[in-house]
Amino acid sequence: MGSSPRISSAMPQEAPQTVLPDYSRLIQLLIFVVTAILMLAPAIPIAVQVFIDRPLYSDGWIFTFANFGKLFGSAQLASVLGTTAVFSVITVVIAQVGGVAAALFLGRTDLPGRHLIGGVLMWPLYLSHLIFGMGWVIMYGPSGFLTQWLARILGGAPWNLYSLAGMGIVAGVSQIPLAYLYCLYGAVRSVDPTLEHAARTVGARPLSVLAHVTLPLMIPSIITSAALNLVIAVETLSIPLFIGGPARIETLSTFLYHQGIAASDPDHGLIAASSLLLVVLVAATLFVQRLLLKNSHRYETVKGKGSRPALLKLGNLKWPLVIIMGASLFFFVIVPVFGVVLRAFTTFLSPLVAPWTTLTLKNFNTLLTSETFVRAIRNTFFVSFFSAASGTILATMVALLIQRSDFPFKRTLEALAYSPRVIPGLITGLGIFYATVIFSPMGWLRGSLWILVLAYVMATLPLALGAIQPAVIQISADLDKAARTVGASWSRSMRIVMVPLLRSAMLGSFTLLFIFHLKSYIIAIFLIVPGLEVMGVTMLSLWTNGDVGVTAAFATLQMVLIALFLVATRLVFRVKLYD
Amino acid sequence: MTDLVLSDLTRSYGATNAIDNINITVGAGEFLTLLGPSGCGKSTTLAAIAGLDQPTHGRISFAGRTLFDAASKTSLPPEARGFGVVFQSYALWPHMTVDDNVGLSLRLRKVAAPERNRRVGEALDLVGLTAYAKRYPGELSGGQQQRVALARAVVFRPALLLLDEPLSNLDAQLRQEARIWLKSIQRELGLTAIYVTHDQEEALSMSDRIVVMRGGHIIQMGTPQDIYERPVHPFSASFIGSANLITGGSVSEVFGGQAAIAFGDGQVLRGHAPLPVHPGSPALVAVRPQNIQPTEGADENRLLVRFGAANYLGDRFEQEAFLGECRLRLQTIRPAPEGQGAIWIDHADALIFPLDDRAKDKTR
Ligand SMILES: Nc1ncnc2c1ncn2[C@@H]1O[C@H](COP(=O)(O)OP(=O)(O)OP(=O)(O)O)[C@@H](O)[C@H]1O
Ligand SMILES: [Mg+2]
Repeated sequence: MGSSPRISSAMPQEAPQTVLPDYSRLIQLLIFVVTAILMLAPAIPIAVQVFIDRPLYSDGWIFTFANFGKLFGSAQLASVLGTTAVFSVITVVIAQVGGVAAALFLGRTDLPGRHLIGGVLMWPLYLSHLIFGMGWVIMYGPSGFLTQWLARILGGAPWNLYSLAGMGIVAGVSQIPLAYLYCLYGAVRSVDPTLEHAARTVGARPLSVLAHVTLPLMIPSIITSAALNLVIAVETLSIPLFIGGPARIETLSTFLYHQGIAASDPDHGLIAASSLLLVVLVAATLFVQRLLLKNSHRYETVKGKGSRPALLKLGNLKWPLVIIMGASLFFFVIVPVFGVVLRAFTTFLSPLVAPWTTLTLKNFNTLLTSETFVRAIRNTFFVSFFSAASGTILATMVALLIQRSDFPFKRTLEALAYSPRVIPGLITGLGIFYATVIFSPMGWLRGSLWILVLAYVMATLPLALGAIQPAVIQISADLDKAARTVGASWSRSMRIVMVPLLRSAMLGSFTLLFIFHLKSYIIAIFLIVPGLEVMGVTMLSLWTNGDVGVTAAFATLQMVLIALFLVATRLVFRVKLYD
Repeated sequence: MTDLVLSDLTRSYGATNAIDNINITVGAGEFLTLLGPSGCGKSTTLAAIAGLDQPTHGRISFAGRTLFDAASKTSLPPEARGFGVVFQSYALWPHMTVDDNVGLSLRLRKVAAPERNRRVGEALDLVGLTAYAKRYPGELSGGQQQRVALARAVVFRPALLLLDEPLSNLDAQLRQEARIWLKSIQRELGLTAIYVTHDQEEALSMSDRIVVMRGGHIIQMGTPQDIYERPVHPFSASFIGSANLITGGSVSEVFGGQAAIAFGDGQVLRGHAPLPVHPGSPALVAVRPQNIQPTEGADENRLLVRFGAANYLGDRFEQEAFLGECRLRLQTIRPAPEGQGAIWIDHADALIFPLDDRAKDKTR
């Protein structure tokens, strides 16, 4: 080994390389400009609309603060804000309590059947609020199957789903998976088991170990997921619309929807002002979250050990807990989902008539023979595929620029790229609609599916970054530096070294975005014109028109598609969205 | 011939300077080592030379060409400098075979395939890894990975080789071997090399010249013999050769290059003063443990001490002794009994330095 000279003489030195024109800076600038345009295009028109006296697209507008006057002067606003607040609080409390309990018991104890329970618990994550809310109405609504059945026995309806509490329960249950995942991965799985053992040795029983040792360590995860769930509760449309609508309960999002879509002559100034209010509320929530987490290192116990912590033994509590959790899941998740499927295969659903006597394929027949509906399915796939693909590519480039370059404006870029987090999807759609109206070069987009692709990519950039940025951080910076030293430019070092190493993170991001877009409806609401239908929005209008059977068939189809896609990605790419 | 010149190089992070006004000149074919404790700015200096980090102040030129100049805001990107770098972490690309790792630089330089294969083969031969060409880095041992990293850094015949603690992840045995063949490869290829380490043995055995650094400053620069035998700063003496630093005395007499230092209890020690010292000013004495003996010799200082415990090291003992408050380590074949006793130090082995503020700061 190196003992005798193998290369005869000193190697002639390579002439210093001539500096080739390096396109890296150009590429970096391009990524920055594209991201900036994407992020600002929907925001700026809304910001302008807030301060002018008539719709953006009409001539001769003048600046004014009158829109705020209208918004805050309206008697409705106070009640809308109050309703939104109560609804959001109920939602968050249910989601957090359910999620934390699930994370503790499923992640840290020997609860029997915890894998099955954990699996079913995730269902609401893959379904849109629209489908989930529909399921609840079908089973538990005033004329729902189970409500009617019980009403006959008890001689009166046992509950009223069409209430604030009902809305909160449905939204809360559908947000449990988010809290569960955050708490499970953020804390429970990484809690140093020696801390728990230490508590056991001083005589603590399993439940008090969970309560006094494990739970406090989860606080940062609880805060983060609570903030996210709060934001989702404030933005969600279909649950307040389906469940609160019949009882005339109005939240900020349905208020916006009614003003913008349902009204014959929408007041754009008022819409923009309420959008801004919504954005401010969301931003404030995320700001509070950051403040609360400022000292979160206090809770850091992560030892980065690969080993799985030992499970706490529940003993006698085991079976009562299984029964409680299993029954809750059955009634809160399985029954509504099953209700949707059952409704799709029947002409009507009532406890007075045995369901098997009303079985039919008519709903699916209507669905698959209607050109509009089939087009909606095709469009959804087209939009989901291209949005997920381009969103993943854009997020990868942005993440690399933020993490791995000396680009001077990378902090600005990061702020821009994460800005959609404070902009609810409904408003992104609205902003793009305005943008295509006032920026004439964007006008051609209005008749094209690409406008939806654009909107989806914008709205979900933070989500995609969330899947990719951690993976970038995990790759040692020495790897791309090494590529630079052997002669690769920045862009080449990214392509040769980073992109191949990010492959699985990119597939994960693609899967996440694809499912998100497949079930999405809210972003597209303001952008739909005939020919551009997507599944979610079509379902929304079918439901509001009272075509429950066809809506349920649509929902069933969407659930099957999502399940198939999940299984396929798992088998083909070994992508797992969560463990 | 001068190759690499660093002038007034400073890199600051906020208010602190990772390196502070560094000036180094490296000749062609020279093996220069940056030696110093963790956090002293060695990697920062190396990254500045490679172009992986931008200093805040100063200039870097190589073979007459300016690579970096803070004043005119010119900086050649790393790929245009063409220096071979061996990273402390090796930084092998995990998704490429050994062949591809080594050959990438040639592919980027558009070297035709036959020539490329020949040169990759040659480089792998040089590091003794021909049989591993088709493996992935994850399938190699630490020592093998380190040799791939070296092959990758030299295959494109860089004008300058930069090595950042390349041996620190190897066990003691492998490190010994690697030291020898690394040095022989550098000689064979006639490469100019800058080597970063905090291991004094490595530095002494491989370098043509050593730069001793601490806290972003250069403390001393010279041949291994210079540094070891003629430290000009107490830090050099204590970091290389782990000398005892005896504080608490002040200069009582100065004559020629010699000085005498008096301690609080009235004892006096004579020694060599490499830097100017002034009578009456506080000073410290640097003495290596093996130069302190509990037995009498000729021409020697005698000091009364209190002996502490002795540890058996195989071929000798290491014993502690207290001179007033000051704890000394000495190495001897026959340890003295614990309790009061005396030590002897040759005049030539005691180095007396002025105790200025900077020196105090640097003796930590
Ligand atoms: N990105 C940074 N931000 C702030 N300070 C930094 C940064 N990088 C390095 N430093 C500081 O600069 C100083 C020099 O760091 P450097 O990595 O050059 O040390 P080193 O001599 O290579 O140490 P080691 O032997 O541990 O590798 C250290 O004090 C370090 O904390
Ligand atoms: Mg270092």
